[in-house]
Amino acid sequence: MHNLGFALEGAWKVLAAGLLLGAGLPLLFALGIRSLAYGAGGDAEVHGSRPRPAGTVLGWMLFAVVLAGVLLGLTFIVASGFGKALSFEHVYPSIVDK
Amino acid sequence: MILALVVVTALGFDFTNGFHDTANAMATSIATRALRPKVAVLLSGVLNLAGAFLSVEVALTVTNAVVRIQDSSGTPKPELLAGGGGALLLIVLAGLVGGIVWNLLTWLLGLPSSSSHALFGGLIGATVAGLGWAGVNWNGDGSKLDGVVGKVVLPAIMSPVIAGVVAAAGTWLIYRVTVGVARRFTDNGFRWGQIGSASLVSLAHGTNDAQKTMGVITLALIAAGDWTDTGSVPFWVKAACALAIALGTYLGGWRIIRTLGKGLVEIAPPQGLAAESASAAVILASSHLGFALSTTHVATGSILGAGVGRPGAQVRWRVAGRMVAAWLITLPAAAVVGAVMWWIAHLLGDGLPGALAVFVILVAAAAGMYVRSRRAPVNHDNVNDEWEDARPAGRVPAGAAS
Repeated sequence: MHNLGFALEGAWKVLAAGLLLGAGLPLLFALGIRSLAYGAGGDAEVHGSRPRPAGTVLGWMLFAVVLAGVLLGLTFIVASGFGKALSFEHVYPSIVDK
Repeated sequence: MILALVVVTALGFDFTNGFHDTANAMATSIATRALRPKVAVLLSGVLNLAGAFLSVEVALTVTNAVVRIQDSSGTPKPELLAGGGGALLLIVLAGLVGGIVWNLLTWLLGLPSSSSHALFGGLIGATVAGLGWAGVNWNGDGSKLDGVVGKVVLPAIMSPVIAGVVAAAGTWLIYRVTVGVARRFTDNGFRWGQIGSASLVSLAHGTNDAQKTMGVITLALIAAGDWTDTGSVPFWVKAACALAIALGTYLGGWRIIRTLGKGLVEIAPPQGLAAESASAAVILASSHLGFALSTTHVATGSILGAGVGRPGAQVRWRVAGRMVAAWLITLPAAAVVGAVMWWIAHLLGDGLPGALAVFVILVAAAAGMYVRSRRAPVNHDNVNDEWEDARPAGRVPAGAAS
């Protein structure tokens, strides 16, 4: 059953990438919302307090990271549609021919 | 003439593919009311249209994963081309009818089954009937993940589990992190995250699924001698497929949306975000790694995972069990329909009368199931009604409708 071997090999990679992007980005998003609430203070939190601007800044920075992740996903869809592939060879993603 | 029937049937399949899979992307956003139902299907339809046009790369060899009717370059096998390609067209037609009939039946029952499995099942059945067991690529040639086992069976078992684990982890983390933040505040934030992630799933669906039909239609055109280039797809085919899948998506398979959005778990916005992010990540990562999988299986696994990951959430395992049962029989059931259709056409002489008969059977079956669905309609008005376990779940999903 060579197929089982290939499938398991593919599966753990998909699981790793899925956990990193599919659970990691939502985690950052949740942290962003937490920071915004921390920054807004008042009735945004269960135990209301005064506003803290640092939280607001951190929150939007986290959202920016999430947005970058989403843009990476979009680039991947568009690039593979045109017969290109995303390469992570140089750590940062770049578009190469398939 | 047979070619015209094949093209129309293929577009019909693309259409059912669209409405069958609207739920994968939009069920969670509709269930949490992040988007109004009509807006959600419109957004998903537009993104599917865009996605279908984005797929420039040719998917001409789509059938090679499961059956042996083409060479690796996409050219049909020469022995099937005798007499204007009728033999190949008949197999494709019977296979498509098998896929459509199964898609419509599962839609009627409100079950999210895989459209790719239905298509592959239909093709496998028609090929076994037409060419014998050796016509099917069961296990690949050992050099890579291939064949019915490698491209269909194994991914189908693994992908829901992977997606479920990712979504459960995401949900658990989100609920941990947002403890102490006011509910009103989180719900509004997660609403946007949900819309964004669901849009990614819709776009990815358009690029993946519309391509399969484009490949099948182009294969038929080549077999009939109306197209020779194995390196590209005629523009009208691309446009027609894109429109068919987008229209199907916009029509919305409300029955399936209801099962996925309300039947499995009661979804809150943070769970919706986790589920759709998990789906998007798993779909994109696997297509990047060449690991073929079904959007439907991933989406369902994600939603289940989001239910498991939230402390204290209720998962309706009976509904999940019915879905798994539907997945298991999708491939063989569509194969049986495909095979029967091929034999009917064969008995009528392999030519136009046979093809017409099969087409008429398809239209009759589709009309019959549509009429049956009108008895308990599910639409954008009642898609979010409370789920009642007392009724046979899914079979009469609109029980609460007025």
